[in-house]
Amino acid sequence: MRNVLIILLIGVVLAGCDEPITLDINQTPSRLVIEGQVTDSPGLQYVRVSRSGDFYKNGTTQRVTNAQVIVRDDSGEQMTFTHNPRGSADSVGYYIPSKNYVGVVGRTYTLSVSVDGNTYGSVDKLLRITKIDSMGYRPNVFREREAEDESGDGKIWELLIYAKEPQDTEDNYLIKYYRNDSLVYNNETDVYVLNDYGVGENIDGVPSSVYYAPGDKARVEMYSLSRDGFLFYSDLVSILNSDGGMFGPPPANPRSNITGGAMGFFQVSAMTSKEVTVSGN
Amino acid sequence: MRLFYSLILILSTHFAFGQKFTINGYVKDSGNGEELIGVTVLVVGTGTGTVTNSYGFYSITLPPGKYDIQYSYVGYRNQVKSFDLTQNVSENIELISEATTIDEVVITGERLDANVTDIQMGHTKLNIAQIRKLPAMFGEVDIIKNVQLQPGVITAGEGTSSFFVRGGSADQNLILIDEAPIYDPSHLFGLFSVFNGDVVKDSELYRGGIPSRFGGRLSSILEVRTKDGNNKQFSGAGGIGSLASRLMLEGPIVKDKASYIVSARRSYQEIFAPLTNQNGQSNIVYFYDVNAKVNWKVKNNNRFFAAFYSGRDQFRFDRTFGFGWGNTTGTFRWNHLFSDRLFSNTTLIASNFNYKLELQDPVQGFAWTSKLQQYSLNNDLNYFINTNNELTFGYHLSYRVFQPGIISPNTDGSIFMTISQPKQYVFENNFYVDNKQKIGSKVTLSYGARLSIFQNIGPADITTYQDPQDNIQIIRTGTEHYDKFEPVKTYINLEPRFAATYLINPVSSVKASYNRMVQNTHLIASGTVPVPFNTWSPSGYYLKPQLADQYAIGYFRNFKENKYEVSVEAFYKNMQHVTDFADNAQLFFNPDLSVEFRQGSSYAKGLEFSGQKKEGKFTGFVSYTLSKVMRKVPGVNLGNEFPANHDRRNVVNMAVTYDLNERWQFGSIFTYSTGRPITLPSGRYEFGTYNVDLISERNGYRLPAYHRLDLSATWNKKPRHPEKRWRGQYVFSIYNVYNRHNPFTLYTRVAQDKDGNVIGDGTQKEARMIYLFPIFPSFTYNFKF
Repeated sequence: MRNVLIILLIGVVLAGCDEPITLDINQTPSRLVIEGQVTDSPGLQYVRVSRSGDFYKNGTTQRVTNAQVIVRDDSGEQMTFTHNPRGSADSVGYYIPSKNYVGVVGRTYTLSVSVDGNTYGSVDKLLRITKIDSMGYRPNVFREREAEDESGDGKIWELLIYAKEPQDTEDNYLIKYYRNDSLVYNNETDVYVLNDYGVGENIDGVPSSVYYAPGDKARVEMYSLSRDGFLFYSDLVSILNSDGGMFGPPPANPRSNITGGAMGFFQVSAMTSKEVTVSGN
Repeated sequence: MRLFYSLILILSTHFAFGQKFTINGYVKDSGNGEELIGVTVLVVGTGTGTVTNSYGFYSITLPPGKYDIQYSYVGYRNQVKSFDLTQNVSENIELISEATTIDEVVITGERLDANVTDIQMGHTKLNIAQIRKLPAMFGEVDIIKNVQLQPGVITAGEGTSSFFVRGGSADQNLILIDEAPIYDPSHLFGLFSVFNGDVVKDSELYRGGIPSRFGGRLSSILEVRTKDGNNKQFSGAGGIGSLASRLMLEGPIVKDKASYIVSARRSYQEIFAPLTNQNGQSNIVYFYDVNAKVNWKVKNNNRFFAAFYSGRDQFRFDRTFGFGWGNTTGTFRWNHLFSDRLFSNTTLIASNFNYKLELQDPVQGFAWTSKLQQYSLNNDLNYFINTNNELTFGYHLSYRVFQPGIISPNTDGSIFMTISQPKQYVFENNFYVDNKQKIGSKVTLSYGARLSIFQNIGPADITTYQDPQDNIQIIRTGTEHYDKFEPVKTYINLEPRFAATYLINPVSSVKASYNRMVQNTHLIASGTVPVPFNTWSPSGYYLKPQLADQYAIGYFRNFKENKYEVSVEAFYKNMQHVTDFADNAQLFFNPDLSVEFRQGSSYAKGLEFSGQKKEGKFTGFVSYTLSKVMRKVPGVNLGNEFPANHDRRNVVNMAVTYDLNERWQFGSIFTYSTGRPITLPSGRYEFGTYNVDLISERNGYRLPAYHRLDLSATWNKKPRHPEKRWRGQYVFSIYNVYNRHNPFTLYTRVAQDKDGNVIGDGTQKEARMIYLFPIFPSFTYNFKF
């Protein structure tokens, strides 16, 4: 809401502007942040444990490396996640299953994280995902027009997604776009989360939210979300795009499924993906 | 109904005192025949008297004898009439205006010493003639921008048409145009209000001691009446501004018996074109207003009025995304004299508010429409019992239909289906009675009550939940069906109203008041300022009526023969079931919206100091308000008390005009207020690739203070042909003279450079302040003939 209304208002008054301001922020104790993911696809299982930091302090926030992380499911299977077993520098704070491990559709998963004598828990269910039937692409009209004005980066192609949305269940989706194997967003505060309220069965060519240049390898990953997951990601959209509570709601922490006072979310999903190379004509 | 008319009959016969006679009639402007509201009608030498009511009608009852009656009104020459009272007399009076320039023949007047003697406190008559001389944004004369300067009134910031009265939220103001409610008074999201200054005759703001004839909102009544139309001769007025143009025409249909007025205003789309039409897109942004009114008189005891208002805002971006909203109201009014002392006003009202959002797209195309319709029948009666008692009573009946939203696909290939959120039907009966009684020469009392009988009726299918406050795991337990007209929920509330004035001496008084108000129509908004797309909801299965109890006392003093008016008022207001949304409420496309509703309590207390000078070359007012508004709502801020979004503790407003001579007038506005509360992060954390703010407390910080100075100069052009009626006027104004960057709102983001590229690794966050208006000149040409 910030974007549409405020930009509009500024546009209307011709002269409005925004400028930096330095906040005099009260320090509050650091909070534990847990980000966990279990899916039905190999290699996507991880838990990241970190702490919140000062608002103005840049650099990666503090990672927690001494946590005990265990995931159990309702069939009795239990998996210990170990901290950064390969010891790579960019995986500090990441815990991955100690052996090959994938989730199973229909099972409920319980996460338990212990840090310095405190235990944090979470439960989420692995729901099925509908397949992406096929994908096409075409130039986006607006991007194309903009590209005529400026030199542009050639990223004017949008993907078209075709699928069948199951009508007998309430479904929630998280979509991730990859460009040449890198996760990309059109804007760094974008979260592509949706539910099926009001959506019919035929999804015939819904355009992607990110754009590609000719020759780009484009991949779309679609994750199923529980209602908790949908709420968390929707709330994340709100706080990342808050207008400071003028027209929209005041910023509020996303509703987490983690107990014990930690921030973050434990997401259990089925995943489906599709890949296409944009040929550019 | 029958019972009601029997009551009228009883009153008009039973109380007819044999030994006394009545003088009554209408008081009008001699130039254009407009009825004058609040004219003092004084029996010379006795100190007794009355004032004309909202329709310009007066009635005074005296024993037989010879009397001189004086009619006086600010901006008009006094008139004295002699009567030899041996029978009832009907006497219409025409007062002659003292105005010499284009500026307004109609002046919102009142008794010169009304500040001290009137029973009403927490009340302001907004003087449209004075507002015209004050600086205005884009030169558009705006009633609501002036309301925002009154004591006890707080704004959310510039560029908004919302206002907050004595701690109430933005939906707690009843805004009436010719008695029809306006559900959204904004144009361009609030840069302007829907009231075209050319047609406004009179407007009043009640923020405390609200009379029992008003109800339905907790905090204030803004009553705007439009002109009836010149019944002497054809005339007109208009203006060419930097944002919009206006034209108003009025004239007699049958001289002295029937007249009309029509006016229209439209913004120029071209103003926005350079900014919005980028990349060859064709964008449309405009608003318009149309007002029309006719009135006619059948003898002296029947008058009919029909008034119409319609306004709309329309936005469309490159033929793909569009939205618009608008109000349309119609009023049909019948003033009737049942007897010399019983004045009746019957009004039929229709009001419609709707908005529409639309996306044109072969796959994701949809249209969202939402609508609120109201039909009302009001019957208001004034019974002038004797010089010491004036009874006001009546009933208001209304039927409302709320259609919160219909989403429908607008192309064949759309992925959307048609979804209609359930309609709600509401039936409301209100009865009220109020007596204004003078006791001796010192004390005036006003006492009465309003009975509100509210019913949310079928057809309805109400979804029930295991826990209707749980918006995370929504567990539906079934639906309850209600047939057509079957009550879903009935709320009956009695609203006592009381006011008293004690005259210490002719120039000072003490006043006290208590009122209870009930509100059954709620605009639940999560932000500080409601936007047209917030949806009105009635009380019903899940929402309880909001209630307010307000206590106020005040001291009023006039100086130098009523030239200067000073007052101090203190108030305490306790509100129950104020509405809010739960933290993180899902507002769009939510079939279970009711689980997001929260109701809590709120209180406000404050002190208002006000000074005013109404006559002379220098006129104006200054006010200072010290107030505090706290809220406590379960499910919001963990159930802890927090300052309301509109809790601005210190507010100073000043508006002055100076008439140098017949040609030149100057105006100035200064406003200062404490920054509004805002929720800011206390830290940040990382989730995935996102850099997220950590929030610890709702409204724990404040924006920097708001202050601004505006200036204006009005030049009345010397008429080239003084014998003709054409008069022209140029208005220059400068908004925000010392170019303060006043914070509109504040947001955070990952630090970016000038071109919008993320700086470094994207871990640095920054806060940004948005301001709307730097120093801003505008220019308007006004004319009348």
